[in-house]
Amino acid sequence: MQESVLSLSHVVKQYGDFTAVNDISLNIPKGSIYGFLGPNGAGKTTTIRMILDIIKPTRGEITILGHSSALDVRTGIGYLPEEKGLYKKMKVWAIIQYFAMLKGMEKKAAKQRAWTVLEKYGLKDFAEAKVETLSKGLGQKVQVLSAVAHAPELVILDEPFSGLDPVNQGVLEELIRDMAAAGQTVIFSTHVMQHAERLCDQILLIAKGRKIFDGSVAQAKATIPRRILIETNSDISSLRDIDGIREILILAANPVTGNAGQLWQLQIQQQVNPQLILKTCFDKGIALSRFEFTEPSLHDVFVHLVGDDARERAAR
Amino acid sequence: MNMIRLIAWREFMENVRTKGFWVGILLFPVMLIGVVFLQTTLSRATPTRYYLLIDQSGQYEQAVATAIEREHQRRLLQEFVNYLLENRKEVNFEQTPVNASSAVDTLIEDVDADEVAALDQWLDAGGLNFALTMASPYLRENAPAFTPPAYQFVEAPLPAAVNRDGTPTEIVEALRPYLTGAQQISVNGRSEDLFALILIPENVDEFIARPGPVPTTGSVSAGIQYWARNLTDSRLPDAIAASINSEIRNSEYIKLGINAEQVRTVQRTRLPVTQLDPSAAAGEEAVSMADTFRQYAPMGFVYLMFVSLMQSVQYLLSNTIEEKSNRIIEVLLASVTAGELMMGKLLGIGLSGLTTIAVWLLSFYLFINFYQSAQTELIGEIVGVILGSELIPWFVFYYFAGYALYSGVFLAIGSLCNTLKEAQALMMPMILIQIVPIAMMAFVVLDPNNTIVRILS
Repeated sequence: MQESVLSLSHVVKQYGDFTAVNDISLNIPKGSIYGFLGPNGAGKTTTIRMILDIIKPTRGEITILGHSSALDVRTGIGYLPEEKGLYKKMKVWAIIQYFAMLKGMEKKAAKQRAWTVLEKYGLKDFAEAKVETLSKGLGQKVQVLSAVAHAPELVILDEPFSGLDPVNQGVLEELIRDMAAAGQTVIFSTHVMQHAERLCDQILLIAKGRKIFDGSVAQAKATIPRRILIETNSDISSLRDIDGIREILILAANPVTGNAGQLWQLQIQQQVNPQLILKTCFDKGIALSRFEFTEPSLHDVFVHLVGDDARERAAR
Repeated sequence: MNMIRLIAWREFMENVRTKGFWVGILLFPVMLIGVVFLQTTLSRATPTRYYLLIDQSGQYEQAVATAIEREHQRRLLQEFVNYLLENRKEVNFEQTPVNASSAVDTLIEDVDADEVAALDQWLDAGGLNFALTMASPYLRENAPAFTPPAYQFVEAPLPAAVNRDGTPTEIVEALRPYLTGAQQISVNGRSEDLFALILIPENVDEFIARPGPVPTTGSVSAGIQYWARNLTDSRLPDAIAASINSEIRNSEYIKLGINAEQVRTVQRTRLPVTQLDPSAAAGEEAVSMADTFRQYAPMGFVYLMFVSLMQSVQYLLSNTIEEKSNRIIEVLLASVTAGELMMGKLLGIGLSGLTTIAVWLLSFYLFINFYQSAQTELIGEIVGVILGSELIPWFVFYYFAGYALYSGVFLAIGSLCNTLKEAQALMMPMILIQIVPIAMMAFVVLDPNNTIVRILS
């Protein structure tokens, strides 16, 4: 079993009658990139605050870097809060140095480190600028750097990608990968599935404060059936006999191409090879005008698992 | 401890970089210098005032002339007292009893009590020359010579067009353009502004008011008429009123058969009261000037605290709010304990407040040491006496303790607010809290060992 840097056991947070986080348990292995996914208001930030011991859980236990409170291992943690803000009057390099020093770095080393990370992640030209002169995105980048400049064992980023342009999202992804490669554990929360899909070894999916899923991205994808789209005028009833096809659904005629051909969706089981189905189609003489196999994306998983819930919240 | 220092230093540097901080620091010295220089320049710059005197009664011309002369002598005396203070030999306040009756002190007191009589005595005694002779033993050896001030009120000749014997209404009408500044009068070939017209009508004696039923004068321009646009410089009318009243009283005394000289002497008779301190050693019981100064030292410290808190209260409130509103506080609390954070902020902000005070005190010190004048020298000596007290370490201790207490309370309130608006609503109660010691101060000085005061300490 891998060494665990953070584990939550039946953690509950209640505000009066409202339960923000309901019975969440998880285990995060060292060196992994771990995503907290969930719709707005799912309880991601509350969970993160409890992990950091900024607020106390109503029930349950949290073990972080072998301690019961994050305050005991402060220097080993880097944290980027959801709402971004920095001291407006300070210079970029000075603020990174300051936060690194608060995390226990020596003054000189902290300054050197500030310049190193600024250079590495493309902010060297802004090092002498005051924070108030930076754009929102740049400011956010600075804040991420100030959170991780002291090379903490565990990095917790709350919505780090929000407000960044695609290029800088790429830079941030690179930073997260670099940290994981250096053996640091990274936890980040997001509701943008693409980042999680590209980056995460493991994800936690929560909605309404409840854990819906916890595991690897592949496992997450396995929770929804794989699908093949075929378009044909032939009779496809013979396909029903193939092992591993769970269900065949008839969809409306292709709305895009306007073809007369009928559109079908085959839901297949995990172990089934789509090539086999294609071969069967040829063997049975089914004339295909389209055969499309796609892996489900994390987005599909997300919508599948929490879609109804998220819509309900949005409608409220 | 390291973290506290780090946070304190950051707070301090951030405050120091604000414009408000420098405005605050520079304001005091600038004001100090400004006030002193303005006062000196203004008092030196007061121009010669030209007045017209028309005495139709023919009785009071002399009294007005005396009034003008007395006013001049009063100014001369003031200047002379300043000169004495500036150039006298070193005085040890420890040895000077509170009720030391130096000639100058008595003279000033007499001026307050009965100006005319005292000034007359000063003139009778030979005026300036006599005073200079009297004062010479008390003056420094290298004292510069005394330069008496010039006459400030000078009588102007009546413009030719004005008839001295016309009715008061006619005269005022004729002179109105001069009095309003529309026209200038000619004095020794130069054009000058007319400052005032003193018009004494023929029937002026009818308006003499005596104790008893309130006299009904019936007219707004009853008695002596003093016409001038400048209503704030009341030296001339005051001097004239005092002089003429003295004249009238003299004639009343004569009418009643009373010796006026004797009355004046009686008015200026006094018995001294000596303040003695029972706790002092034999021979030093007399309460010295220094003792009274020291009594007031706590007041100085209370004001100092008030001012420094006024300065810091903004920072104390707004800095926490900034961190709370943009969630920096979450990062900070993930790095340091709440206690460390608050202590660091308290120290940092406190330090910036104290820096201002230190700079003020320093500029004050430099000012009284390098700007030589009677007042600054006197203040310097008083400050020296206060600082010589053995209670000073206690004052300093209580100053810091009080400052820490107040800042702590303010910081706590600040940390309860989420927005600047909430904090501004709290400003008022906070200022009221600051006023408590100032309100208490007067009672505390009167009775420092009062039980309530002890508890409050």
